[in-house]
Amino acid sequence: MDLTYTEAEEEFRRELRTWLGANIPDEWTRPGFWEALGDDESFRVRRDWERDKALAGFAGIEWPTEFGGRGGTPGMKAIYDEETVRAHAPRTVNPLGLAFLAPTVMAIGSDAQKKEIVGPLLRNEVIWCQGFSEPGAGSDLAALATKGVRDGDDFVVNGQKVWTTNAVHGDKIFTMVRTEPGSQRHRGISMLLIDMHQDGVDARPLKQMSGASEFGEVFFDDARVAATDVLGEIGDGWRTAMLLLSFERGASGIGQYTEFRRQYDEIVEVARTLGRDTDPVIRGRLAKVLTELECLRLHAMHVLTQVEQGRDLGFEASMTKLQWSETFQDLWEVHDDVLGEDATLDSLGDLDLRPLHAQAMWSRSVTIWGGSSQVQRTITAERVLGLPR
Amino acid sequence: MFFALTDDQREFGTAVTTYLAERFDLEAVRGVVEDPAGDGNPAALWKAAAEQGWLAVTVPEEHDGLGLGLIEAQVIARSLGAGVAPGPWRGTVLAAEAIRLAGSPEQQAAWLPKLASGEAVGAFSLRANRTAVEYAAVADVVVLRDGDGLVLVERGGFSTEPVGSYDGTTRLAAVHAEKGEALPGGAAALAELTARATVLVASDLAGVAREAITRTVAYDREREQFGVPVGSFQAIKHALADLHVGVTMAEHAVLYAAHAVDTGADGADLAVAVAKAKASDAALAATAAMIQYHGGIGYTWEHEAHLFYKRAKRLVGQYGDADAQRERIATLTIG
Repeated sequence: MDLTYTEAEEEFRRELRTWLGANIPDEWTRPGFWEALGDDESFRVRRDWERDKALAGFAGIEWPTEFGGRGGTPGMKAIYDEETVRAHAPRTVNPLGLAFLAPTVMAIGSDAQKKEIVGPLLRNEVIWCQGFSEPGAGSDLAALATKGVRDGDDFVVNGQKVWTTNAVHGDKIFTMVRTEPGSQRHRGISMLLIDMHQDGVDARPLKQMSGASEFGEVFFDDARVAATDVLGEIGDGWRTAMLLLSFERGASGIGQYTEFRRQYDEIVEVARTLGRDTDPVIRGRLAKVLTELECLRLHAMHVLTQVEQGRDLGFEASMTKLQWSETFQDLWEVHDDVLGEDATLDSLGDLDLRPLHAQAMWSRSVTIWGGSSQVQRTITAERVLGLPR
Repeated sequence: MFFALTDDQREFGTAVTTYLAERFDLEAVRGVVEDPAGDGNPAALWKAAAEQGWLAVTVPEEHDGLGLGLIEAQVIARSLGAGVAPGPWRGTVLAAEAIRLAGSPEQQAAWLPKLASGEAVGAFSLRANRTAVEYAAVADVVVLRDGDGLVLVERGGFSTEPVGSYDGTTRLAAVHAEKGEALPGGAAALAELTARATVLVASDLAGVAREAITRTVAYDREREQFGVPVGSFQAIKHALADLHVGVTMAEHAVLYAAHAVDTGADGADLAVAVAKAKASDAALAATAAMIQYHGGIGYTWEHEAHLFYKRAKRLVGQYGDADAQRERIATLTIG
């Protein structure tokens, strides 16, 4: 066991802390600040800030320098995830591009794609959306029906995507489209890279149960995309998608732990304020969540170790997702337990509960998106435990 | 960052697992369970534990031990748990740990080499009422709670009275000690000894839990009902998947707790409580599932599921059950 980082990694931590300390205004750390700003303004501020961060060298931490990354270690990425949460850095506006598209392009993209996609993405010059889910294709992604018909050098795309993060702010969308007429299931799909700024693409916000609109819907009505704007081979989109999703294994467990642990401490503070911190039932529930949070932290160190050792975690990513998402949801259930009969109120005395409610509502989404808990359990049972399909 | 066992550490576990599979399988365990009048300490198994260094693991090299840590000891404990192995391994290791941490130089010289070599059997208990002490009847030396401190009693200085338990993979006794010698550092070492004992029990539970799942998965892949393997049913898949996640987390938690205690890390107290809480819950859930997902055969005496379930039932209560650990966690994180 060696739970320390290298000297170079700790030096990176110091540099990053210094930069974050100088570049995050105090008011950003105030609870409810971002919610009060409104979706559009929040997005603009975060987009600019993240660009400046990239220009300062704090983006693409573990990406090769030839792609504009920092060429850092997996440990530096973990430190980055931890420190940005600690410093109350705003959420990225390009989450799917950074986590999924960029590594896939670096792995299988053409030379032109590597040049045109990765750098601009890193600097937020292009906001990328992911077009996977459809009204009829949620957990069953292979049921997707969005069609692309060849017309000269282009595909003409028709259909609808849904649960698209940042849909209304998106510039481009990597999209799973059925490009072989009459094809079934996993065959005949292509990963098309579609410009969202055209008449044939209509992105609309989707108001969520929380009241916010992180997600949206994207409608394709004779949208055009050059047949060369495909990631991987034409008709081989399923394989591209599986490769793309495999990059989730690098999920930022240490950053998640840091964030959730702070939320735990906030909930404990609410319990203290209300005098609920001595209630043995509440204490037991809080301790149960804390136990799972600690397990999440240790699991993140396990994952980081495996990555550093060059081992393929494969389907263990499903376990990671289950552990963080179910624990996060439990955490916010305990928050409501702490509030008891006042759980739905906007405020209690001086305590504004609305930012906390926003997190509690959000926690209902995390066990659905990115592969629902039910899908993750099936994957774990079949691919890890070897139970029959 | 290296959150894992080294190959050398892993080797301890492999050695125990291999020995049990080849020389002391579940039929042998059953032999012990079905002979409640026996001492529950099979000679061949004890000899192997001595020869292969399982007893010497934490004893310092100057006293003929291996001088290793709790992290290596918990590897052995986990494999013994997975094999639901009987025998006074844990009591002997913990008696030696008590003498190492709290004994005088004379006590250390007198006992540590013998405990490391298996020449002497040890027993250890922190219970004030000195009952249900593991393997006290075969012990050459017992270390017991004495007020705020610890007392060491040699064979001849104590008598025992058997205490029955439905966990047949162990033997328990009440201990009556007439005399004994204090371990001078007993009071000071109590917290660390409690932590070490708790981690070894948690590790045994993690081993029990993992084996319960492994055996259940193997059975449910083969067992057919309605014309298909029952393991193809989603109700069973999802339950086993959740158990797999839970047991994996328990394994992480035990590994970290052992490391934290070994290194005196900040938060070691919390780590131990987390490990015991998680391993207790995981073991109860996994062994109950082992019965349920074997169906009727899992409820029979003939089947091994009850050996795992009953061992888990006994160990979850040792050194504080999951609820007690959670209250500890609450105290440490809430106040």
